[in-house]
Amino acid sequence: MNLKYKLSKFHPPIGLRSKVAILSLFLLCLPWLGYQYVWEMEKYLRYGQEKTLEGTTQALATALHERPSLFDIQASFLTQVEQGRDLYAYPLAGAIQLDGRLHDWASYRHRSINYGEDHQIFKRLADAPLNVSFNHMVGKYAGFLYAFFEVTDPSVIYRGTNSLKIDVNDHLAIATLAPDGKFKRYIIATQEDGWVSSYELPEDPKKRMPVTPELKIQGKWVKTRVGYNVEIRMPLDMVGSKLGFAIYDVNDKKTRILDAIVGTSAIDDVESLGTVLVPSPEIESIIKGMSHNSSRIWVVDKHGRVLAKSGDIRTSSSVWTRTVQDTPDDSFWGHFKRDYLHRFYYKILTTPPKDFIDSLQDSTVLKGSHIKNALAGRQGSTWRLTPDNKAVILAAASPIWIDDKVMGVVIAEETTHGIRTLRNKALEKLFNVILTIMSMGTLALFFFASSISSRIRKLRDEAEEAIDSQGRIRKTIQGSEVRDEIGDLSRSFASIVGRLGQYTHYLENMSSRLSHELRTPVAVVRSSLEHLSLQQLDPDTRKYVDRAEEGVSRLNMILNNMSEATRLEESLSQAEVDIFPLSKVISGCMQGYQLTYPNKEFLVSVTQEPLTMSGVPEYIAQLMDKLIANALEFSTDNTPITVTLTAKHRHAELTISNFGPLLPEKMAEQIFESMVSVRQQKAQDKPHLGLGLYIARLITDFHRGSIKARDLQAPNKKGSESAVRDKSGVEILVSLPYIKD
Amino acid sequence: MKRIAIVEDEVAIRENYKEVLQQQGYSVQAYANRPMAMQAFLTRLPDLAIIDIGLEDEIDGGFTLCQSLRAMSSNLPIIFLTARDSDFDTVCGLRLGADDYLSKDVSFPHLIARLAALFRRSELQGKEIANENLLERDKLVIDINRMQVYWNKTHIELTVTEFWMVHALAKRPGHVRNRQELMQEAKIFVDDSTITSHVKRIRKKFLILDSNFDCIDTVYGMGYRWDPQR
Repeated sequence: MNLKYKLSKFHPPIGLRSKVAILSLFLLCLPWLGYQYVWEMEKYLRYGQEKTLEGTTQALATALHERPSLFDIQASFLTQVEQGRDLYAYPLAGAIQLDGRLHDWASYRHRSINYGEDHQIFKRLADAPLNVSFNHMVGKYAGFLYAFFEVTDPSVIYRGTNSLKIDVNDHLAIATLAPDGKFKRYIIATQEDGWVSSYELPEDPKKRMPVTPELKIQGKWVKTRVGYNVEIRMPLDMVGSKLGFAIYDVNDKKTRILDAIVGTSAIDDVESLGTVLVPSPEIESIIKGMSHNSSRIWVVDKHGRVLAKSGDIRTSSSVWTRTVQDTPDDSFWGHFKRDYLHRFYYKILTTPPKDFIDSLQDSTVLKGSHIKNALAGRQGSTWRLTPDNKAVILAAASPIWIDDKVMGVVIAEETTHGIRTLRNKALEKLFNVILTIMSMGTLALFFFASSISSRIRKLRDEAEEAIDSQGRIRKTIQGSEVRDEIGDLSRSFASIVGRLGQYTHYLENMSSRLSHELRTPVAVVRSSLEHLSLQQLDPDTRKYVDRAEEGVSRLNMILNNMSEATRLEESLSQAEVDIFPLSKVISGCMQGYQLTYPNKEFLVSVTQEPLTMSGVPEYIAQLMDKLIANALEFSTDNTPITVTLTAKHRHAELTISNFGPLLPEKMAEQIFESMVSVRQQKAQDKPHLGLGLYIARLITDFHRGSIKARDLQAPNKKGSESAVRDKSGVEILVSLPYIKD
Repeated sequence: MKRIAIVEDEVAIRENYKEVLQQQGYSVQAYANRPMAMQAFLTRLPDLAIIDIGLEDEIDGGFTLCQSLRAMSSNLPIIFLTARDSDFDTVCGLRLGADDYLSKDVSFPHLIARLAALFRRSELQGKEIANENLLERDKLVIDINRMQVYWNKTHIELTVTEFWMVHALAKRPGHVRNRQELMQEAKIFVDDSTITSHVKRIRKKFLILDSNFDCIDTVYGMGYRWDPQR
């Protein structure tokens, strides 16, 4: 009986291998740990970078300490600067073409400031709307100061063609404190679009006459849809540290009365003039001298306005990246790494972008806690994200001291690309190692689990195979040699099966042992009786002796039958197989039975094919003996026994059926067991041990066939009892493999 | 007076046989175990030995004894008389040089006939007898007096049981003799499969001499018959 154990639902059907696979998921902690570690490392690296950068700034600051000439006095001593009033000459990348069209300012346009209401210096009618405003910026390139004014003015009033006056029309006024300390004012006015002429006003701020032409200031005036544009340039040596521009607006061509003045600062006296900061070329040369390209360096004055700048934050290859530049690897492994691993890693990791938005690209004023710190006299550094979140920029700042005052700040900036690249490299390596370890570990675990589960499965299969469906020991289990628990289990299984086998063997041999043991006493009785019968006995005594002899011979027959199965098993194990025609054997046997049992009707149908098979014909004959004897015994009188032999899918099918009692309930399998007899307990003329069908099964097993018994039911169960009984019976099916001819 | 030695550990059987044989006019010495029997045999050999296989504490004591006896004399008739009737034991016993192998079911008359046959055979061995009682079938010659069989004029060593079987088959060639008849002829009482194995052994013995031998024909389900050489 194969017991199907009821498995509780709390034990889902997960194999060992799957369990180990699930457990090996803990290996996935490894990359996380590695990542944590690398992250820690990155923190240290960042700290290191911070320190390095601070050191850089300090070194630069050292070069700039106590050099007041580098700093513009006027602006630097202001407590605060005001955007719009205090101008900043933005360093231009190239010369500006003075044509009045502003397209070559395009890349700097965002720096231009709009001057309108907030910057009106004068208005004739307080409640009249101000209808003049302008966009303006200054820049410096190659010793010139460039400026443009994009003026919005609905009525442009040019200078009269024959007017001597130059200030009764729309004009641009410039005031500056020249480097020689003189206050100078200029006016730019024009009679028509085109090149403008500029005039210097007298030194006295009250006077507006006489004017002298100033040829060094050049520019162009162009009328636009909304007003006019003025583009000018003047040599830097004309400009001091103070500078102001103002647009004078005249709207009435007749009266030519000044309606409004809008400007960067009031330009009539030195005091109210705004400052201008022209980034110092000396500082730049110093910084260039440092020729330190790993970061971008700014020098700002105490208002945070940029005095000098060098280096490019994008192309800067910092100390960090240089260390991890490696030559492309052309080996297979290198290709594999590049094509597969890295492609996979960089789904997770981010490559530092080559391109990111640098908000400070062309700043003129820098802000930030590090600058605040530096202006307070301390070193500082900050980290900031670029606006597009693509890069992190580290900035460090050191103060520049002049006379115990912080006059400026050196700022160095670097992206963390280097560190990130370094980190990525580290993570790549780490991931490589971890992947290797994980895959190896998982594989190892998998193989381990597989081997364990296969061993257990093998053991299970062995255990299943060791005992057949009838619970007989089929073969022993080979105990495993391995000295672990599974080996133990297998060994104990082996010993269990071995012991069970011994017991089964003992039971199976019981009959033959019994017969063997009984033989001697029977022989004693028998020989003694023979002695008696050899003597002259009176008839009475003779009668008893005869009866006793009869009993003894019957005992003998029982003993023979008992040992028959055992002896058959023994001889089967030593049998020599030959090739013989099965059909011939069956029909020969049937002829014999018809001779032996002339009163019984046999319906024989044997196929014409020879059905050559390999085996022992005598055993087949013995099988037939047993089956026919069985059929004879159970068949009701005057009913035929049907024997058919046919070939079906490479198997010879032999059926022997008789009419008579049906098989007992659930005994169809067991009737082929040893010592099973299902006869009614009636007085039997022959001893019966239930070995006949067992022998039949031994023989079919030996020929690698199968034997089954089944009921032949009457097709019509509604008939009378006797009819049913006459039509029902038992059919025994033997199927034997035969060799194709 | 012929001296017969019986080696048998079961007292009752030993005594029964002893008495029967003595009644038949043989002088009988009975021994219960191998050492005693060996001791006696070393002094003097009997004319015939009847040996049980299992002797007291020696499971195969009879086989050992048989071997020792064969070593002492090559023509001393030895009969195994035992309750053990497996093919294996039979073959073993006959290989060790026993002349016959009987199970304890054998009845006294049969046993006595056996003994007589064996004595006759050992007596007539090597002696010329004028009125030869010969049965000739083609290449087969059976000397019934000497209980010997020749094939192609070569002598074939057969046990007494085998001799009677060959005799029964060859007496009426072409007739099927079923196992029951063969048993009666050979004066043994065994089951069908033992007869089958006897026939197989006979065939083998002939095949050793003549690889083309196929005179003993199996008629499946019925028995065997002697087919004249085709």
